[in-house]
Amino acid sequence: MRPHIIFRYVGIVLLLNAVFLLISCVISGFNSDSAFFPLLYTALISALFGVFPLIFVPPTKQIDNKEGFTIVVLSWLLSCLFGVIPYVMWGGEFNFTNAWFESVSGFTTTGSSIITDIEVLPLGLLFWRSATHWIGGIGIIIFVLAVLPHMGTAGMILYRTEMSSLAVDNFRYRSQKTMQILLVIYVGLTLAETICLLLCGMSLFDAVTHSFATIATGGFSPKNASIGYYHSAAVEIVIIVFMILSGIHFGLLFAALIGKPSELWKSSIVRYYLVALAAGVTVVTISVHGSQFHSWANALRSAAFQVISIGTSTGFATADSSIWPPFAQLVMIFFTLQCACAGSTSGGIKVDRMVLFWKALVKRIKKMQHPAAVMVVKIDAVPFEDDEVEMNILFISFYLGIVLLSACILTALGVDMLSAFSGSAATMGNVGPGFGMVGSMSNFSQIPALGKWVLTATMLLGRLEIFGLILFLAARSWK
Amino acid sequence: MGLRTKILSGFLILTMMLVVAGIWSIYELTRVGTSVQSMLDDNYKSINAGKMMIEALEREDSAVLLLLSGKWEQGRSIIESGDELFQKGFTIAKNNVTIPGEPAYVDEIDAKYKIYKELWIKPIVDTSREGNLDWYFQEVHQAFQDVKLSVQKLMTLNDYTMYETASALKNRSHRAIMPGIVAIVAALIFTALFNFFSNHYVISPIITTTRAVQDFIETGELPAIQVETQDELHDLVSSVQRLVAKVRTAEASK
Repeated sequence: MRPHIIFRYVGIVLLLNAVFLLISCVISGFNSDSAFFPLLYTALISALFGVFPLIFVPPTKQIDNKEGFTIVVLSWLLSCLFGVIPYVMWGGEFNFTNAWFESVSGFTTTGSSIITDIEVLPLGLLFWRSATHWIGGIGIIIFVLAVLPHMGTAGMILYRTEMSSLAVDNFRYRSQKTMQILLVIYVGLTLAETICLLLCGMSLFDAVTHSFATIATGGFSPKNASIGYYHSAAVEIVIIVFMILSGIHFGLLFAALIGKPSELWKSSIVRYYLVALAAGVTVVTISVHGSQFHSWANALRSAAFQVISIGTSTGFATADSSIWPPFAQLVMIFFTLQCACAGSTSGGIKVDRMVLFWKALVKRIKKMQHPAAVMVVKIDAVPFEDDEVEMNILFISFYLGIVLLSACILTALGVDMLSAFSGSAATMGNVGPGFGMVGSMSNFSQIPALGKWVLTATMLLGRLEIFGLILFLAARSWK
Repeated sequence: MGLRTKILSGFLILTMMLVVAGIWSIYELTRVGTSVQSMLDDNYKSINAGKMMIEALEREDSAVLLLLSGKWEQGRSIIESGDELFQKGFTIAKNNVTIPGEPAYVDEIDAKYKIYKELWIKPIVDTSREGNLDWYFQEVHQAFQDVKLSVQKLMTLNDYTMYETASALKNRSHRAIMPGIVAIVAALIFTALFNFFSNHYVISPIITTTRAVQDFIETGELPAIQVETQDELHDLVSSVQRLVAKVRTAEASK
């Protein structure tokens, strides 16, 4: 492995962060708020650390898989680390652990927060907080690869390492075109939502920050009461629509955009995703009607927002679902684990894996009935090798195992079981809020410091789809 | 890019990190000092003035009781010194209006004190008011309490602002320290990175070239020298290779 080559590529990622830090700094300067210098200094340090390897290391287009994994994982880790600096320099509630939690939560688009009073934060820092979602949403490396000119084979290796394997297979274009599609859809959705929210009467700052958080399926809001602050059905409808769109494979959204909208419904993954969300909204509406809401309209409004927010791994809130009936909470925990489609900005196990899992299960049952039959697992006529199916089941098992392990550690630290399990599932799935003391109207400030570190590890494991981080940690044994 | 520029860029970056952090720390520390001074000037002065006014009011209240009991001379002397002290405190408070909402409190004190003073400025000894405790409790003591409450409100406002300023000072001192800490950590990491690059792109090629030349001297064979960069080291290797080629040509022609 060539560390200098790795530094060069990670440096480019740091330069991207510096650009967003500088934008946040300009916003801070316009508002004459106290985050100006922390943001400026972090932008300077990020830029200097980014530029320096470019000065020394000559461009190289050839990298191997091991270097690719290291670049991707280090880019995430260093982005999170540099993202900590403005928070700790600003102070307030941010000690190093809290700042690390907020930064990792931002970049991994988890949206869990430790801040008890978000509205006291200066606008520049709030913008940076939302910008971390937007940078992380599409994937730090994908962002860089889409913006920068061709990087040859290096770009392709990085692209394949960063993208979920399921998502890569669903794109029908070469990597550079795919990255451009991703960027166009990502920026387009963000602009469209910003305009819609402005039309709903939201201020420009709130519209942009909420759009960043929605399209990245993050969940950071500059308001303490999240979307509940606005008491606006129009705002909620706009955000619901864009949360659903952000949970769909961007390749399919692109196909729909260029005149093939039927592609969306032809995909069994999207069909399952939409039907599951509709079913979830229905059962949660029935569950909360009467006990929480007297009118069906209010029950549907709150249930739809909360279920779709959790089911797309966004994490915005309009109600405190921690006080909802246990059945409604259980349904939402299922969505916390499942989340949306691969190839979107969503986290979690992903709908694609769930569909593959069920198909594999059906195949196994049929195989038991007809041992001699030759059967292949297919999704939309695409056959899946046994190896891929095994990998899928292994991923789901590993995923649930990590959630359980994290929940066990949290309970050992004195956190109650519901908060520990739902908090672990919410951070692993990059969803945001859980239930109990980490509910939708609460935050993670009550979690012990060690617990916060465990949860940030689950956020990163979830964002890098487990194996990325494990391969990085096992790099020395990788020959 | 030349070696000189590369090495210079490393030192410049290191310097920039430390200098910017240093300048900002100095700026924040200066602001801390200014804030302390303004806290003392703006709030502490008003709180002291408030204490002075309350002390004066209590003296006046005692003096009224002395007048009620017929002790004109002692009562009058204490009440006049009390009034003088009150006016002194009031003037300080009036001239030190620095917080939003403070002028309203000052006006309120002024108005209520005038009502209170109106009650005791008129003769008490040898009038129907002498020994009249009902009059004292219903009018004088009530007016005294009203003025005291207004002064306390002014003091509370200043206390609260002082607490807020102190909290802001805590944040400001944190912001003065943090650039230094971040700069030190960043500089340490950067130094390690600089050292790694210098070693990989400058020292290692020099060592490799030196060894290659020594090998050539000892064995007559020049091993392949790999230089990734297009800087002075690349030129050095090319020169060495040309020199070796010339030496070989010269030896062959002998």
